Amino acid sequence: MGWRLIIEDGVGAAAGLAADEVLTRRAAQSAAPTLRLYTYRPHAALIGRFQDAAHEVHLDYCERHDIEVNRRPTGGGAILMGPDQLGIALAMPGRGAGLRARELMARFSEGLVRALHDLGIDARFRGKNDLEVGGRKIAGLGIHREASGGLLFHASLLVDLDVALMARVLKTPFTEITEAELETVAARTSTVRALLRDEISLDEVRTRVATGFGASFEVELEPGRLEADERADIATLVADRYGREDWIFQRTDVPDRSGRATLRTTGGLLDVQVALAGPTIVALHVRGDFFESEAAVADLEGRLRWHPGARDAVAATVRAWAQANPEHSLAPDALASVIDRAVAVGRGDTGEPYGCFVTPESTHG
Amino acid sequence: MSSDRPFETPPDRHYDREHHLWAHRDVESGRVRIGIDSIGLSSLGDLAYVSLHATGTTTPRGSALGSLEAAKMTTTIAAPVTGTIVARNDAVLKDPSLVNADPYGAGWLVEIEPARWEQDSAELVSGGAIEPWLAAEVERLQTEGRTD
Repeated sequence: MGWRLIIEDGVGAAAGLAADEVLTRRAAQSAAPTLRLYTYRPHAALIGRFQDAAHEVHLDYCERHDIEVNRRPTGGGAILMGPDQLGIALAMPGRGAGLRARELMARFSEGLVRALHDLGIDARFRGKNDLEVGGRKIAGLGIHREASGGLLFHASLLVDLDVALMARVLKTPFTEITEAELETVAARTSTVRALLRDEISLDEVRTRVATGFGASFEVELEPGRLEADERADIATLVADRYGREDWIFQRTDVPDRSGRATLRTTGGLLDVQVALAGPTIVALHVRGDFFESEAAVADLEGRLRWHPGARDAVAATVRAWAQANPEHSLAPDALASVIDRAVAVGRGDTGEPYGCFVTPESTHG
Repeated sequence: MSSDRPFETPPDRHYDREHHLWAHRDVESGRVRIGIDSIGLSSLGDLAYVSLHATGTTTPRGSALGSLEAAKMTTTIAAPVTGTIVARNDAVLKDPSLVNADPYGAGWLVEIEPARWEQDSAELVSGGAIEPWLAAEVERLQTEGRTD
């Protein structure tokens, strides 16, 4: 049996998210998955399931510029969506799709990887939730399992990105948005158009993505649309959840923790900030004078996103990163030590607000 | 919980086949305590966030009693029995890693005053059925791991 393919553009944030959830609920009772490839009305800031909107988004800017804010059912970080970011939602029955999150994510991302390879872009699945090209993120991924047993795979593919707008909408660790900071953010991000050096249309990319999923899952995609009863369910879900402020602005009981540590040597300054959820590093931000390429820094940040905060685990990942990215002048152990210090500050294991001033025993490269 | 540890399934619990939750009824109070079983945790990894519905909420079997985020996957927690939530584990709400550390003890999620325990518990795996179910689930997990 083929899969239904739904293509939409200019959807509102609440309706767009509600549609994905309705399709997922129905997928649990249906043999036929639905692949929905769509864009949002410009623009929408979508936070992860357990994020705090006020903490992640410049709400005042969004209000002044008619930018919608909403909460995804999937986890991860805040994203900016609009006509140049392709939303991908695959709704399918959960049973038989496998159990392990990492394996599910790799399986689902395969269709996207194929599409990008078809365009000449060497994208790879990294960690738990990213597709990256040369260390730089090009797509964010997420999976949600519904109570009904349905499974929703969400992805946002950067066909293009207005970095300046993103910096005004989404909060970053940088307190000031300078040209240099914007260049840093841009250098750590990939987009399809930037990589191809071509004004490829979003429709062309969408066609390749559909083909990639069809080939990956060995299914025929049959163009379809949302049926009347599905639209009614979507309207209900908008009224009950995605259109409600108590959903969008809800707060989690898990306290957000952050830590910061710096390393100052004769070779320069390293500044590490971590955000923690319990023992897990959910985000890492690195700035420093020791790195030749922003892509290498982005790769480090990506590898340590949603990563255990335990010292040994961090050190092992930093060593693996250093082997893959030799173009830096800081010993992996010294780098891992600063990250560990930032984690300790975030956990409240030290009395210091932040700060780590040590001299590394050796340098690398 | 590490995925290479043997799957623990205490014999005094009832297990939800599909959602990998456990249920344990206190004989004296009649309340049913709910948590995530070791196979479910193996598939989810470390929990980062947990949200649970308020006490007083009525949850039919199979409907949401909360949600969680673990290692980027989010999932709705589906009630294994019909009833009313009468207690939430505040310690887990503040530190979800308790669930990974002690899934059958300090990592419980909610307590439910069951509305139809006899009917709902018959749908769950218990007693002598646990071992063969566990063996089949482990085999399925390994098979899916190989094919994924």
